[in-house]
This record gives sequence, structure tokens and C-alpha cells, in this order.
Amino acid sequence: MKFICVRCESFMTFENVEVPGEQSLGVTFGCSTCGSKVAMITNPGETAMVNALGVKIGGRTTPPAPMEVTRESLMDMKPDARPATPSAAVQQAMLAKEMEKPAGGTCPFSSMIAQMKGEGATAGAAPTFTWTADATARLERVPSFMRPMIQMGVENYARKNGITTITPEVMDRSKNDPGDLNWSAAAERRLDNIPAFVRPMAKKEIERIARERGMTEVSEALMEESKSKFLGMGY
Amino acid sequence: MAEKDLKTILKKIHFTDDAQVMKQIVDQSLQVKLRMGRIRRKIVVMSGKGGVGKSMTTANLALAFARAGLRVGVLDVDFNGPCIPQMLGVTGGFEFAAEGVVPTTGPHGMKVASMAFLLRPTAPLRWKGPMDLSPVWLGLQEMSVVREFLADIFWGDLDYLVIDLPPGAAADKPPVIIGYLPELDGGIVVTTPSEVAQAVVRKSVVYARDLGIRLLGLVENMSGVFCPQCNAPVSMFDGDSADLCADLALPLLGKIPFDPEMARACDTGTPLPPGHRISRYFDAIAERVQSVVEPQAAAVSR
Repeated sequence: MKFICVRCESFMTFENVEVPGEQSLGVTFGCSTCGSKVAMITNPGETAMVNALGVKIGGRTTPPAPMEVTRESLMDMKPDARPATPSAAVQQAMLAKEMEKPAGGTCPFSSMIAQMKGEGATAGAAPTFTWTADATARLERVPSFMRPMIQMGVENYARKNGITTITPEVMDRSKNDPGDLNWSAAAERRLDNIPAFVRPMAKKEIERIARERGMTEVSEALMEESKSKFLGMGY
Repeated sequence: MAEKDLKTILKKIHFTDDAQVMKQIVDQSLQVKLRMGRIRRKIVVMSGKGGVGKSMTTANLALAFARAGLRVGVLDVDFNGPCIPQMLGVTGGFEFAAEGVVPTTGPHGMKVASMAFLLRPTAPLRWKGPMDLSPVWLGLQEMSVVREFLADIFWGDLDYLVIDLPPGAAADKPPVIIGYLPELDGGIVVTTPSEVAQAVVRKSVVYARDLGIRLLGLVENMSGVFCPQCNAPVSMFDGDSADLCADLALPLLGKIPFDPEMARACDTGTPLPPGHRISRYFDAIAERVQSVVEPQAAAVSR
């Protein structure tokens, strides 16, 4: 999917993305020449229909994973049958890659969805954690495109703390885990302004920058400095 | 200002079709063809009526083919009530590998694939998403799941793939299967002598023929019961499938009496040994099926 500014005869560029509702995404594109903007939202039903056909929105860049439709949409699945979560490197690289795309190449919106759904994950990777039924049910209530990120965050927290069984309590603790970095109150407020859809990725990226610089606290100044990487994300 | 012509604009800014939706759909069908191309014979076991013994027939027919030295796969397409693994005593799961989904190996080296390998043991079949209750979406979703079971399972080279269909006279699975497998060798219809069952089964025969599915014949299950005292078969129902077969011009492949040993074998996942009286019934049915789908091979083996 692409948007064209008819007046300027050019592709519009991706500006930001929001989650207006369950299984729906809102995305804004702007014309870099005249400044016009267009926003679109996906209809949950249409999105579900296309996904049910096994068609990858925006086109395929990698071959389909074995039984991907079945495994992505089945509830109450055995843990060893679940699709592998995208690696941390894949997820961390994702946002930066989207931001670097020139206007008119592939569709940034759809490729973001594609990657969110697990493209680039290592097929057949052995699961390391046991998710309890309660925890699985809670994870499954998260919109599917956000699930891999949430799962990765919880499992990273569990790995760091030597936990092998994921329970709802572990999920709660992981949400508030400051890791080895503290966040200033002002920085946390700025973080809350980022749409939930991209917040985990943005948080990871900012923390990566902080660690690279040997910082122990994420400050508002660092948030401001990092803002250029996440232009249009509302914080 | 006159409206700009979008076609002209697109020529200027080089529009490309990144999604290639049609190519994706064609690739899906090609993948089914590639996978199924390595299987010599594909047979579905069906019935309009539930509880007549389709899965039992599927499991035991597959065992009979395997006993005859054929390379056999069993595909359980009864997504809501998968019971083939239990009947065959298969407890493994799928392995997700680069070449596809590796099925579990069962008795006599037969390969087994079932929804039971994906679901938690007591979990019903439920799909995620905001449209999980929409019949239109559900139809599409399950069509894709059938396709993935045909396209993504790494069966390798097989002589026979026996596919267990769910019950339903006008269920959605037969048209999906025949859509993806126009080269299907045929269907086997299972019934009991009960007139209630036969009335429903009759409808499924008409429906299957409307879809272009070649019917190889009918298996009558619960065709009497072995007397616990004298071991002689005793009738359980007044009806007889011979009339139904004559009426529908359908060969009667065999009549299977109810045998508590068979029921126990299915419940415990311990297939009956070769030479057991019920095994012999299925050996005869397998031979008849083989003589219909590949008359030359059957003649040689005799």
C-alpha cells in the first residue's frame, strides 16, 4: 500500500502509527513537498480476512513459515508448536529500518505489520520458557501484531532473573522492570506519550543508546536527543 | 483545474506491485502440488453422519495398507475432534523444520498428522482474532488450515495418504479438499446399518458426487456384534447397507462387526495385531480399495 500526493505527483512518507482499537492500526503519511497529510485505519475484519487467506500484507520477503496461518491464529496451542518469537536483533533493527526507508520503496506500514507478525524469526527455534495457561491466555489477549514484542520483553526479563516459568506475576514484574537503567520521572512521562504500538521498541532503542554511552539513567535530555530517530511518534 | 490522471502519475513515479497477492496465492497452490506430487494415491474417508466410525475406519485401513508393505500417511482433517493419534497410539508432535512440518511416525512406520499435535490436550479448537465467531471468516481460516496441512507437511514419498474428514453431509471440507486435490483417487463412505445413519449418508454420497469426488465404495461399521458366549456375529440393527449400495451403485467394500477388542484397541491406542479377526476384515477392504484405484498393482501383489 502506498499513498500518493496527487498535487505534487510524489509518494507520501510515513509519519506515525497509532493503535485506535483492537486488531486495528492507524497510520499517518505526509507529503514532504506540500505538507498535506492523510491518515488511514485498518478495519479489524478486513485485516483478519486477508490474514486468513495466508497472504502476507505488503508482499513476502521471505518464504512462508511452516503452517504459519494455523500457528499464528490457533488458541490454546501446545508450547512447542508456537511460532518462534522474532529475535531481539530483528525487533531492535525494525524501527530504525522503517525510519530509514525512502518514500516510494516498499510500503512501510505493511512491512512493519509483516515484521511484527514474526518475519525473520528463526523457524523451529526451541522454546526456553514454559508459559502457564494463565500467562498464555493473557498474552493471547494482546493484539497479535504486538504479541511478539511483549513476549520477547517478558522472556528477556525472565532470562535475566533466572526464571523459566512465565506466570502472570512474572509478566507484571517484567512490565515494571527498570533493568540496569533508571528512568527519570520526566523521561517516563515522555515515554508514556509514545503510542503503545511502538513504545517497547522505542524504549529498547533508547536504553541501548544509554548503555552505549555508559549512562545509568535515562534522562529527559536523552529522550529529546533520541527524538530525531523516532520523529512523528508523538513524544 | 482538471483532475489529474492517476495512471500518468504512476508512470512518472514508478509504481511497483510489492504485495503480489495473486502470486502468493498461486505459490500456495503450487506448494500443495509439489507436496502431494510425491504421494501416489490419495483417499478420503467420509460420512454425512457423526459417530459411525470414520476415524476407526481410517486408522485401520491405514494399518492394513501398512501391513501390506505400503508406505502410508494418515492425515486427520477432523480439526474439532481429532482422534487419529489416540487410536494409533501416537503421542508425539510436529517438528518444525526447514523442509516443512515433520509428521510423527506411528505403527509400521506410518506417518501421522493431526490438529491434536498442535492443541493442548484438553483444549477445544478456537481461533484468535476479532472475527472468531464469523462463519465467513471461519470458512476462510479453515480453508487455509487445510491447505497448510496439505502443503506444509513433509510426507516425503508415500504410496497411500488416507485422509480422515470430519462429519457433515454438506460440510465445507470436501469442496476444499477436492479444490486443492483434483487428482484425489477417491472417497470411502462409512455408515452403520442404522436407517437414520443411512439416510444422512445417502445425502453425503449425492453431495460428494456433485463435487466430482469418485466414490470407491462403502464400509458398513457396527455390522452386528460378536456374541460373548459363542463368538458368532449377531445383528444389532434391522437395516442393511447392501440395499443402499445397490441403490447408489456403490460397491460394498466390507462389513465390520462391533468387537469390544477393537473398541479397547482404539481407546488405548494399541492397534490390533496382524491376523486378528478385525484386522483381517480391514486387510480385505484394503485389498478391494487397491484393486479399484490401481488394478494392475493389486493383480501383481495377488
